[in-house]
Amino acid sequence: MAGNKLNIEGVMLFEQPFTRVPYENYRKVFRTSQKQIEKELSAVQLSASDLLKKSQTAGSERKADDSVKAIDAMIARIETLKRKLSDLHDSTGHPTLTVLRERTQHLAAVEALQNEADPEFSRWADTRLDRWLVDWSLRTGREGTARQITQDRGIEKLVDIELFTEIRRIEEALKRRSCTEALAWCSENKAALRKIKNPLEFELRFQEFIELARALKQDDAIAYQKKYLLGWQDTHLPQITQASALLAVPPARAFGPYKWLYDPLRWTTLVESFRLSIYNLSTLPTEPLLHLGMYAGLASLKLPACYNHETKNADCPVCDPSLGHLATDVPFSHHVNSTIVCRLTGRIIDENNSPLAFPASGQIYSREALEDMAAKNDGIVTCPRSNERIPFEDLRKVYIS
Amino acid sequence: MDAPLKELTKLEKLVSNSSAAKGKSPSISDSLESLLLSLKDAKQRIQAGADAGEVCAGLSRTVDNTKKDVDDRQKEIYNSLARFGKALDKRFTTPLPSYSPLFSSPESKAALERTIAQHFLRTGQFRTAEVFIEESGIDISPDMREHFAELHRIMSSLKENDIGPALEWTERNRQFLSSRSSPLEFHLHRSQYIRLLLSSDYNAALIYARANFKSFYGTHSSEILRLMNCLAYLPPSRLQGSPYADLTSPSLHTDLEPMFAKEYCASLGMSRQVPLRVIGDIGGGGALARIEKGRKVMRERKSEWSQSDELPIEIPLGPENRYHSIFACPVSKEQSTEQNPPMMMVCGHVVTRDSLQKLSKAGGNVKCPYCPQESLASNALRVYF
Repeated sequence: MAGNKLNIEGVMLFEQPFTRVPYENYRKVFRTSQKQIEKELSAVQLSASDLLKKSQTAGSERKADDSVKAIDAMIARIETLKRKLSDLHDSTGHPTLTVLRERTQHLAAVEALQNEADPEFSRWADTRLDRWLVDWSLRTGREGTARQITQDRGIEKLVDIELFTEIRRIEEALKRRSCTEALAWCSENKAALRKIKNPLEFELRFQEFIELARALKQDDAIAYQKKYLLGWQDTHLPQITQASALLAVPPARAFGPYKWLYDPLRWTTLVESFRLSIYNLSTLPTEPLLHLGMYAGLASLKLPACYNHETKNADCPVCDPSLGHLATDVPFSHHVNSTIVCRLTGRIIDENNSPLAFPASGQIYSREALEDMAAKNDGIVTCPRSNERIPFEDLRKVYIS
Repeated sequence: MDAPLKELTKLEKLVSNSSAAKGKSPSISDSLESLLLSLKDAKQRIQAGADAGEVCAGLSRTVDNTKKDVDDRQKEIYNSLARFGKALDKRFTTPLPSYSPLFSSPESKAALERTIAQHFLRTGQFRTAEVFIEESGIDISPDMREHFAELHRIMSSLKENDIGPALEWTERNRQFLSSRSSPLEFHLHRSQYIRLLLSSDYNAALIYARANFKSFYGTHSSEILRLMNCLAYLPPSRLQGSPYADLTSPSLHTDLEPMFAKEYCASLGMSRQVPLRVIGDIGGGGALARIEKGRKVMRERKSEWSQSDELPIEIPLGPENRYHSIFACPVSKEQSTEQNPPMMMVCGHVVTRDSLQKLSKAGGNVKCPYCPQESLASNALRVYF
């Protein structure tokens, strides 16, 4: 049986985050290297011009000694920078590039395939399901399962365990009411967040301000507002105004909107905002990939027949009790043409294998199956569902247009 | 993915530590290395009594030049990285759709956990299954674990060409297998017989055939004849050029594993394919893309479709994924239901009951829309697929 042509665009729809996550990781590596270079080289530049100035002005005896000392300091700086850059490359830069290469090639490999029946595709789809299960396990807090799948299947480079470990670390900090970790993440991804106009940093800063107000540290709060909130006035002026007003309303006398500002539930919202931001940045969908795949897959198969005891088929995924339950959350499939599947052979009935009906019970099977049955039983056929027994010649031809 | 791969190769070359890496500007480690040499050289010259002012002027220029070289190189890397990112953006133009939380009711969550636990067991990932069951705190009947453990024990024996455990199972389930007219048991014996033949142990092969093929004469006589006749073409090297060459095909043995798994699962009332794989392959193989496209078209026409009802478009399915008959009435184009079942007229053409009633005339006669025959609507037969 020849399989269907592979729908590459349909396959690729799921794969944007697959390369996006390591790509963002590598951009982070680049920014780190840029910072280190900027810091050390500017310092060396400064001491070089400093040295030049001094050597042209000061007296002769002392200056040789001083110059040697200054040059030694510069050598030390450059050596440190060299070591730091090479460490960064070995510990994160190179591994991240390897992940990027492996994933890009993994996608190129499936692009090169033509047919779903290709055994190569079957292996690829096995790995995809493993990846989806890892993603699902990580999102639902089953890290052990995720690690076990990854290890057994050898797909370390194809899954994002570190990303989710980081998400968990930062979320746990937020649950402990600490914004520090989340703010550090914001500053690491400042440019990217600004590009998608993500306000997470403001929300975190606002929360820290609220905490100062809660602790009745008015002076600190005002200083904090000047330093961190005023920069957002173009986009968040109403909130900033509200923040100022909040100082006049201590938690004990809070009412209306101020009551909500002091509400501890805001921390839960922050956890959600953070998760949404990090998903956004990596183009990860808010729902697990497994859910999206299952939604579409179940909806493609779901039929009223899956829920009728008479017409259940053990081979049909939706007829499985658990999956059938999950399918209640998705729409039914839509069909404009008839497809008749023989209940005896499980094969599709078509022109070459026309349908025949038992004349009394109206049960329909494929000619192929009934001929086979007649050959084994001296020309008599028996319907397994109605037990109607007749000679093969008495079956009625059925025309499905 | 050709374009991203090309850009990635360029990026890898630019950032690799080897000094052979080419770029418009020298590599960063080379620049730093030469700066170090200049610094050490300047230090020596000052210590040797050279004019510090002069040396320092040169040094300051070198430092500035190095800074510029390093910045240039960083800019090159930055641009290369951006080009790679653009190539990726170009390849992935449609983002994944966002859905409101799916399968989020407690019952659905439990059903999904059961499905996933079963998936791990069925695909032989027993360690993962253990960890998962533990982490999820769910109950999986020991029976089910035992069944799958047995399945995988037998499968790994088959992989090592040991048909013993498989035969033991087929003997226990002979009745079930014959009710499905499954050739599994015969195929197991055939595989063993051929293996003996091909290892040139003709005598053992004959003894094996005599002992085991007897009970299959009724159902597989012609195949048994071929198995016996092929002896005339031995040794194996000659057999390969004979009309019996198909008997030397390795698929005779490798097909046993999937065949066994299918029968074993059927005996437990489970599907022949791994259900989660089937669903994932359909969903991830174009169905989601099609659903999204359909949804977009509906949105543009400003006619929302209710989520839980029916998809607005048909998702094409391969014949291996057709599990149920679907009857769409050729007259009304509607799918048949219990309330509106398919009816076969005397001429053999089938329409749904509603259409039949619409077509019938005053006397209860119906003229078939597909052939010249007229018949009584009351003579139409309710059919079952």
